[in-house]
Amino acid sequence: MKSTGKGILLAAIGTAVLTFGSGGLALAQQAVPEGAEIKVPDPTKVVIVVNRDSNDITFMDIATHEIIGSVFLGNNVNPHMAMMSPDGRWVVTGGSSSNSAYIIDVPTLTLVKVIPVDFAPEHLAFSPDGRYYYQGNPSGDSVSVIDMVSQTEIRRIPGFAEPLNITFTPDGSKAYVGNYGAHWVGVIDVTRHELLKKIQVGAVPEISRLDPDRYLGEIKGISNASISNDGRYLYAADGDLSIVSVIDTRDDRVVKTIRVGADPWRAFMSHDGRYAVTINNGDETVSFIDTTTNELVAELDAGPDMTGVNFAAGKAFVISSSTSFLYVYDMDSLTPAGRLKIGNQLALETATTDTADEKLYLASSTDHSVYVIDARTETFEQVTDVGLFPWGTHILDSRDNYCH
Amino acid sequence: MRNETMFGPGKRISVPSRLGDTKSRSTALSLVVSALMVAHPLQAAAQPDDRDELLDRIDQLETRVGELESTAVLSEPETRVRRIEVWVDENGEQYDEEQPGTEPVVTYQRERVYRRQLINDKIESALDDAAANSVEIGVDAAIVFQNAQQRSGPVTIADGNSYQLASTDLFFTAGIAQYTVFFADIVGLSGTPPDDEIMGLNLLNGYTARLVEQNGLNLREAWLMTELLDQRLLLTAGRLDLTAFFDHNAVANDESSQFLSDPLVNNPMLGLSENGAGLAAVYDPKNGFTAKFGYQQSSSSATNLSDSLFYLAEVGNLFNPFGLGEGNYRVWYRKDNSSGVNREAHGVSIDQRVSPLVTLFARYGAAEADTLEDDKFYSAGVQFQDGLIFNPEDSWGIGYTRTELGTKDEESLVEVYYNFNLTERLNLAAHLTHVTEEPAGDEKVSYFVPGLRLQASF
Repeated sequence: MKSTGKGILLAAIGTAVLTFGSGGLALAQQAVPEGAEIKVPDPTKVVIVVNRDSNDITFMDIATHEIIGSVFLGNNVNPHMAMMSPDGRWVVTGGSSSNSAYIIDVPTLTLVKVIPVDFAPEHLAFSPDGRYYYQGNPSGDSVSVIDMVSQTEIRRIPGFAEPLNITFTPDGSKAYVGNYGAHWVGVIDVTRHELLKKIQVGAVPEISRLDPDRYLGEIKGISNASISNDGRYLYAADGDLSIVSVIDTRDDRVVKTIRVGADPWRAFMSHDGRYAVTINNGDETVSFIDTTTNELVAELDAGPDMTGVNFAAGKAFVISSSTSFLYVYDMDSLTPAGRLKIGNQLALETATTDTADEKLYLASSTDHSVYVIDARTETFEQVTDVGLFPWGTHILDSRDNYCH
Repeated sequence: MRNETMFGPGKRISVPSRLGDTKSRSTALSLVVSALMVAHPLQAAAQPDDRDELLDRIDQLETRVGELESTAVLSEPETRVRRIEVWVDENGEQYDEEQPGTEPVVTYQRERVYRRQLINDKIESALDDAAANSVEIGVDAAIVFQNAQQRSGPVTIADGNSYQLASTDLFFTAGIAQYTVFFADIVGLSGTPPDDEIMGLNLLNGYTARLVEQNGLNLREAWLMTELLDQRLLLTAGRLDLTAFFDHNAVANDESSQFLSDPLVNNPMLGLSENGAGLAAVYDPKNGFTAKFGYQQSSSSATNLSDSLFYLAEVGNLFNPFGLGEGNYRVWYRKDNSSGVNREAHGVSIDQRVSPLVTLFARYGAAEADTLEDDKFYSAGVQFQDGLIFNPEDSWGIGYTRTELGTKDEESLVEVYYNFNLTERLNLAAHLTHVTEEPAGDEKVSYFVPGLRLQASF
């Protein structure tokens, strides 16, 4: 594919954004090399596919669904989640088997940096200004802070317990870390990159003494602290406690605890901000929390092994991994709206939604495919051979970029 | 954090610390350094220019050791079998892509991927495979203790007596084909329920309905279930309990965790007295609407399938009225020939969540009888959970039922229960029931029946 003027412009803007405030040091390092072939001129027009077993990141054209190219990371890297920097210049991912973070140059689709981090890096997030990339290392109980200007790990924040997803406040001053190996949310001061506070989301009930196996055998804590559209509240679901705690980000205090179905994985925020939706694999239900009242307003049947929720065309699509179904819910009436069968014997992973809230891009690992689903008509197209064992997808500025 | 260690005479270098405790770290590093010394005997006298290269190599080896020590157990690529579509021509030659004169064929092929698995991944996968190919066994055991205190009417034999009934269900479940499951329930009961001495219109202990033979095992259910039409249609055939498919209610449907009295578990107007051979078809497109049809024989003395046969049909829908929460509304119709003539019945079952704490329920049913007037049944109540309880997963409820037979025999029943969810597998419930029997032309008799239910399922 030939380079375009728009691509070069975007690359230059990205470079300028990153360079601003950090001196001119980064400019030479981060400019697209002169004469390099621009394969992705517009980062908003691609879908990123994370292929766990072919150890690469595939870029798919969002309009034609053709594979633009893949960036191989190395054998036994097993990338877990990928995310594009806010300016679209970089894609980053953690190799859960290589204990490294990877930075890919988007315009040229080249791997530009491999950064050793802690054990088993999985979920990650960018600060809103794109300056920092926080990489959670669940097996190392730490969060690596990658400076995107120097593209180095400038700090490794210890003290977490299986840190999974990371959520920045809109102003970028704080980051919240869900600890799946505990019942607290970690608050990171982003200016100092330090663990500032631990917010306990709920007490383990007294009666747990009668059932030690349940609480000692395996802990299911907090996967993610999901933030409201205005950044005021966080919704942190706790698996063992079957609750969603509402945290006020002004003083980092739990203001409400809402009981939901059994073993909620995390809360997914509807795009209008009206509802926080949890998928509860313990009793195979979906709980809808009204964020204006912070009350549970519906709890509906769903399926087993749910991995995520995507919102589009006024509906919520809940992925049931092992059944090959998407369970559909009408977000106006909060009632079931059918079930979309994707195939037989598939393992559906996670999906992203395009910025128009029209289409879902669903990773299906065992048939190495991405299914493009029209949310309005509920028809879909299979894009085959995207890589081995696609584990997740990502679109820049999508409001449904998540991992499992 | 970086540690300093000796490398070569008089040289101190720093290496990242990722090897856990000091002892294992120093041991591993010693091995790495020794290996380097053996592999590169001249390195002991390495020039400063070589130092960076050696340090890089130590870094790489240390990382590698760290990985192996901590997580990785398999160094060879993982293999698994994949379902693929290939094209085959008339000579049996197989192609990966479509060729002229070829037909698509589904087959299976091993593939190899570079994924280093963790030992717990491998164990979990093996256990899942074993579970998927084995018969799952479940147990549901309950002990119900009740006492009868007569409050009014002529003194009866039940006054002051205590009762205890123990019930154990053994469930066997096996997946035998895609979307097809075999299920069997063997139940054993022993003990004395109050229903042998309080001759009410309905059972005061829902478990009594299972009591076919004292101290013996009884095959309660044995059926095959399969899913058709993109899994929208469920067909179940075999020895069935149709009440498991019809007249559902979210908060008044289970004697093992909710109300104990039978009329607060099932609508008596359904008329089913025994499990038997039958079929149930459930159409559920997962949009809130359901349609069901089934038939079942309800007499163990029947000599052919046409004898004592019940037909049931039901439609249901889920609403969210006024944003209160989900509400299930069901209407059913029954026809049977168990009395020698065709008789009909109909009913409704409703449960409506009105807040996260409160769910209301109601039932109504009417059935043709030998009398001029139909038998009628009403029930209503409420279940509380969250907030108004001691432990997070406890629940409690109050229910009222009224049964009016065409013979003018009548019964009113009120039950309150509190279910302590002690563990995931163990529940203890306290029940208090007040029942008033109003036999036609006879004096009313009423009882308080307090009870305890200890229930375990695993």
